[in-house]
Amino acid sequence: MKKGYVFAWIVLVAANGQISAEPSTQVAWTPETLRFVKNGDAERGKELAQACEACHAATPENAESEFPYLQGQSATYLYKQLHDYKSGSRSNEIMVGISAGLSDQDMADVSAWYSRQPLPPAKKADEVPDTIRKLVDRGDGTRIVAPCAVCHGSAGQGQTMDTPVLAAQKAAYLEQTMLAYKSEARRNDIYRRMRLIVQQLNDEEIRQLARYYAGLER
Amino acid sequence: MHIHPLERRWIYVVLAVIGIFLLAIFYTAIARNIHPPSHIETIDSASLHLSEEFAEDKLGVWTQPDGTIKVTLVAARYGFYPREIQLPAGTQVTFRIASADVLHGIHIPMTNMGTMVVPGYVSEITTTFPKPGEYPMLCNEYCGLGHDHMWSKVTVVAKESWPAAPNAQPVRR
Repeated sequence: MKKGYVFAWIVLVAANGQISAEPSTQVAWTPETLRFVKNGDAERGKELAQACEACHAATPENAESEFPYLQGQSATYLYKQLHDYKSGSRSNEIMVGISAGLSDQDMADVSAWYSRQPLPPAKKADEVPDTIRKLVDRGDGTRIVAPCAVCHGSAGQGQTMDTPVLAAQKAAYLEQTMLAYKSEARRNDIYRRMRLIVQQLNDEEIRQLARYYAGLER
Repeated sequence: MHIHPLERRWIYVVLAVIGIFLLAIFYTAIARNIHPPSHIETIDSASLHLSEEFAEDKLGVWTQPDGTIKVTLVAARYGFYPREIQLPAGTQVTFRIASADVLHGIHIPMTNMGTMVVPGYVSEITTTFPKPGEYPMLCNEYCGLGHDHMWSKVTVVAKESWPAAPNAQPVRR
């Protein structure tokens, strides 16, 4: 049976001269999905979040780990990431395993809980170069790079649906995420929006942008 | 109330002009059944990336069986996707565009390619680019803070030096 699929796929590809790729995500922000996530039960999410806290807690002991802070992140963004792990749109050894055991309701509840928590304390960055501030506030027209702030907000507060909060996130995580977009290791951004931007940046700009956002307080 | 005769004459002229315009609109709409061309075909903007026509790997330039070109585009804050396209000069090109979020406009300066992209609807426009060159493709409806950064690049090349686009699949319209 499997072989049949592979054969059919090859025939299709040969016939069309192109490869049909999976969509970047299975999540669509229809009114029903938005309402479902908005109505997540934070109290139930709090119980579920006990398991997450081992890695994601906003404690000093956790500050150096590679795991991102989830506190204060938007519920829709968190829900989409969990959903993407489960559907295979985003890869991560640990999270794919964990999300496999979560129902949609679990995801909505745990997202609701984390979105209601205060942001972790920001790690103030010492001087960020002017060129980086310029990328944040004015972008770079010569590379078709829109300013970070137009989507992620002037204080890194993110925007509705799937533009995440960046303020006070760990610099190492932000850098690693941008590098993953750049190398196409991460590809769950609809219409490649983030990949197209990050692929125009050099690694030093990425490092500095990560430092800048890690230092923002909301 | 006193109205100066000259002013009165001009009021009649203006009223007559307005009357002619209204007659023309009603005549074409009612007698000739001519209506604004857009807002005919609907699509769900929220799940655009899961639709058949506007799926991520279906965007771009396609050659139709009759030799004309079809371009499938998505307008989303803040860009047109794909970011860069190449088209042949002197060939009929049909753009089909959908918005993934809010109201956008699409315009290629120095050409007659321009239309609104209304969320929930598919915009279609057909044109021919006579001159090779590099053109920006701009958003001309304010769509948010990054509106002035919303542009993509269109390169029009001479027909002879245009690398043919893949053929459109029969299922796609």
